[in-house]
Parts: sequence; C-alpha cells; structure tokens
Amino acid sequence: MTAALMTTKAMATTTILWMALPLFLGFSGYLVPKLGRLFALAVSIISLGYGLGRMLEPSSVLNWQFLDSFGVTLRVDSLSGYFIVTNAVVTAAVVLYCWRQGKNAFFYAQTTLLHGSVNAVFICADFISLYVALEVIGIAAFLLIAYPRTDRSIWVGLRYLFVSNTAMLFYLIGAVLVYQANHSFAFMGLQDAPTEAMALIFLGLLTKGGLFVSGLWLPLTHGESETPVSALLSGVVVKAGVFPLVRCGLMMESVATVLSMFAVGATLLGVTYAILERDTKRMLAASTLSQMGFVLVTPAAAGLYALTHGLAKAALFLSVGNLPSRKFQVLRQGKLPLAMWVALAIPSLSMAGLPLLAGFGAKAQTLSYLSGWQQVVMSGAAVGTAIAFSKLLFLPTKLGWPKLKAPGLWWALLPLLSGLLLANSLYGDAYTTKNLLKALATIGGGWLIYGLMSWCIAQNFTKQLQLANVRLPATFERLENLIGMMSLILSLLLGMTLA
Amino acid sequence: MVILEAFVFATVLLGFFGIIFKHNLMMKIIAMDVMSTGVIAYYVLVSARGGLVTPIVLDQGRTTYADPVPQAVILTAIVIGFSIQALMLVGVMKLARNYPTLETREIEQETQL
Repeated sequence: MTAALMTTKAMATTTILWMALPLFLGFSGYLVPKLGRLFALAVSIISLGYGLGRMLEPSSVLNWQFLDSFGVTLRVDSLSGYFIVTNAVVTAAVVLYCWRQGKNAFFYAQTTLLHGSVNAVFICADFISLYVALEVIGIAAFLLIAYPRTDRSIWVGLRYLFVSNTAMLFYLIGAVLVYQANHSFAFMGLQDAPTEAMALIFLGLLTKGGLFVSGLWLPLTHGESETPVSALLSGVVVKAGVFPLVRCGLMMESVATVLSMFAVGATLLGVTYAILERDTKRMLAASTLSQMGFVLVTPAAAGLYALTHGLAKAALFLSVGNLPSRKFQVLRQGKLPLAMWVALAIPSLSMAGLPLLAGFGAKAQTLSYLSGWQQVVMSGAAVGTAIAFSKLLFLPTKLGWPKLKAPGLWWALLPLLSGLLLANSLYGDAYTTKNLLKALATIGGGWLIYGLMSWCIAQNFTKQLQLANVRLPATFERLENLIGMMSLILSLLLGMTLA
Repeated sequence: MVILEAFVFATVLLGFFGIIFKHNLMMKIIAMDVMSTGVIAYYVLVSARGGLVTPIVLDQGRTTYADPVPQAVILTAIVIGFSIQALMLVGVMKLARNYPTLETREIEQETQL
C-alpha cells in the first residue's frame, strides 16, 4: 500500500518536472542562444523516455487533482504515452533537420515551447488547463509560421490565429456552462452539462484539430509554411485538438457516437481533397485532414494511429521539402534519385497500410472496432488514401543520390523511419490472413484506380468529359468563409446533440 | 438576469458577425475583441448567479458570495486574449507597409491564396 503510494508520488513529481522542463529550457534558450538547438533536442529526448515509459506500461495510470474540484486535473495513461512519443520523435527529427540551417535561437525556443505545450495537452483532463495549453500552442505555432517574416507567411499566420482564436472563444463559453452544471471544469462534467456546452466545446476542438469542414484552414496553413514547420504542424500540433476529443470519446459513450459521425465526414472530405490536389505539400496537408478522421473514429485505437500518422507525415513533409518542385506535373517530367524515392516510398506505403510497416497495424486496429456501414466507408477511404499516395509513389526514378536543400534530412529521417518499422511490432494481432489480404486489396485497388485515372488523362478522355479542369473551390478557404463555417458546424452540432 | 444574459449573447454574436462581414483587417481584430468582451462578461455573469458580494472571509458570517472560480479563470483568458491581440496587431503593422488599405480580399489575392 505504502509502496504503491510512494511510486504514485514519485511519478507525479516526475510528471511535473518533465512538464515544466520545456518551458524552462525554452526561455533559457533566449539567454544562451548558442545552446538553443541542444536544449530543443534534449527536451525531446527526455520526452521520448517519459512517453515510452507510459506507453509500454498500460497498467500505470496517474489521475491527479490539485486542490479540490476547482483545481487542475491531470491524467496520464498509455494513450497519453503514444501521443507524447509522437511529439518527441517528430520534434527531435525537426531539430535534426534544422541543425545546420542557421536557424536562430528564437526558432528553437519556439519549437521547445511548442513541444512543451503540446505535451501539456496530452496529460491534462480539465477544460481550463486545456484552454491555456491550446492557446500557447496557437501563439507558438503563429510565431513559427511567421518566422520567414514575408508578407505571405505573416498572412498565413494571421489567418491561423483568427480561426483558432474565434473557435476558442466559443470553447470558453462551453467551458463555463460545464462549470455551471458541475462546479468543476473536469472533462467528466461534460455528461451532466447542457447540450449547448458540448456543441460549443466540440466546435472549438474540431476547428483546432482540423476535422471536417471546420478544418479547411489546414491545407493552406500546412502547405504554405516552411518545410520543418509543416512537419511539426501536421505531425503533432493538429493532434493537440484531436486528443481531448478522443479522451472525451473514451470517457463517455454518448459523445463517441457524435464524434464518429464527424470523423467519417472528415475522412471523406480530406481524401477527396488529397486525390484532387496537384501540389505535393497541399496534398500531404489534405491527407492530414482525412487521417485525423481515422484517429478520431475509434478512440480506443487512437494512440497507435496517431503515432504512425505523425511519424509518416513528418517524414513525408521533410522529404517533399527537398524535391526540386512542388507541382506533381513538373515532378513527373524529371527523374527522382532512388534514395529520395525510398525516403518518400516508406512513409507513403505506411500511410497506405502496407504490411511490415506500422501503418498496417494501426489501420487494422482502427477498422477492427468499427461495424456496419462505418467499416465500409472507412475501408473506402483507405483505398482513397492509397490513390492519393500513388501520386508520390509512381514518380519516375533514376539511380543516384539527390542534391539536398537541407543536409540534415537523412539524420531527421533516421528516427522517423526506424520508428515506423519498430512501431509495427506494437499490434501483432493485426497479422491475420484476412487483414493481410484486405490491406493488399486496398493498396492494389488504389493503384489500379490511380492507373486508370492516369490512363484516362493520357488518352484525353477527360477533356471530352470536361473533367481535366476539376479544381477544388478556393472560396471555401477564404477567411470569412472559414469563420462563417463555424456557425454552420455549431448548428449542426446542436442539432446532433439535441437529437 | 435574463435580459443581461441576452445582452451578453448579443455582444458575442455582434463580434462574431463583425469578424465575418468587416473587410478591413483592423476592424476584424476589433470585432474579435468585442466578441471576447462578450465572453468575459458571460463569465462574470455566471459567477454572479449565487450572489454579488466579494468573496472575502469576514467575521459577520455567511452572506451570498460571488463565485470566485470563473472570475479567476477568466482573468487568465483575458491575459491570453490580450497577448494574442497584441501579436496580431504586430502582424498587421508589418502587412500595412505593402497593403496600406488592409483589405483582406486584396491581401488574399495578392498573396495568391
């Protein structure tokens, strides 16, 4: 009894120290600019150790409440572990990628602070700590997006702040409604709160997590940022919006059904965007939109899916940043060095769910919890993912090594790709004949459809059908429309929760 | 109390529509401030549901105190909101050099978004 109490206390102390360290070292980075990148790397390695400990020990759950019911509530379990490991590996990879690029101390300080605040989201269990962590993420992400200080980057950053801050204001109204009903801000209170509270809070989190139409800000923000920042944003920062939804979905059955509807919608929307996109980075960002749907649709399997998606997406963004062009059309005319192709192919195949890579297990686990029409729709979306990533996979190649814009790329890919291989062992139950056949059929089907599509375009059939110029409507991505969309989602959420 | 609540929500909605319908970036930021003022007012209103007296322990015994928790929480939110606003204004200052009118549509077109 006392021994158990002691370990809980030791774990609580470790957690607090680990949580405070990035903030402390982040600001110290300003005082000792030369050590900035070292601090950032050290913080992510420490997080990796902490996260792995939580991830591989599902029995150790820390539920902790400061003061009484009014205070901060923390919850650390193996789900948090998976998300923390994702955050740690992606941050480490980004720091290694930037190692010799002459980024200043400001950049590394913001990266460290972003890392810390994302970690804070993964362990908190009340709405106000979550609010503070999400807002810090917003500020740090804005500063990273606007780091090049061009007009374009500042505008992309401002647009991001506008959308996220407006969403968070709705969220705050929801949070006080939860308090009014329970005299506590803890997540559990959502059950007894009025339905408007759930609608308002979910609006904020769906927007932050880039889900469904409220996530349409995401393709542009992630597509236009600098390469390492895109990798950070798409790899971990969006998951800070999804994680609380997953947590609420696991706690409350009624919430999970509402969320799974949004998740399916987000997946379909994102896949459509990803297939039609003609720009590499925007395609990756659109695929994030759909993959967040996969993470949310089965909260019980969210940890592994988030881990595999984070590693693969960060690797893809970093590699794509070193291609000679962003346009698929230009890339198809040149030839890709083989080493570069391998760097693109491993994460692409993991995204598509090829056996022996971590994406396979994650997809199998996620789909195994679904039933009926949801499983059919999500399997269809998986085929769509395979189609979208065929665009990268079937680029023409030649033997040789590429000329890199950032020499740190190989160092950055090392932890990401080995993580993808290692994480494959986390869900061994996936290797059944049925799952293997299904995964191969999904990928094969995707490639077949991609082949047909390319053939049609080559034969000019599409011109006759006037499909050659199918473009995505840019109007939905205008700032006014993004904000206006929130009122639509809010009424939709209200309708669903009242029904 | 109901009328007060209606006014608070009217403020939130006016701010929200301001963000959508105002074309000028500066006006959008001010509209966002109006919206957050509404949210802050709502927190104050919620904490005043049980009573209006400042929650200080005195010898006179119990009276109807205002709930301090939402007030403490919204203080954090005010600080965060104000720092975000400051950050956005710095961004707008930078943009104003090349886009003096600060029309969002113009900026979106010029940056080819």
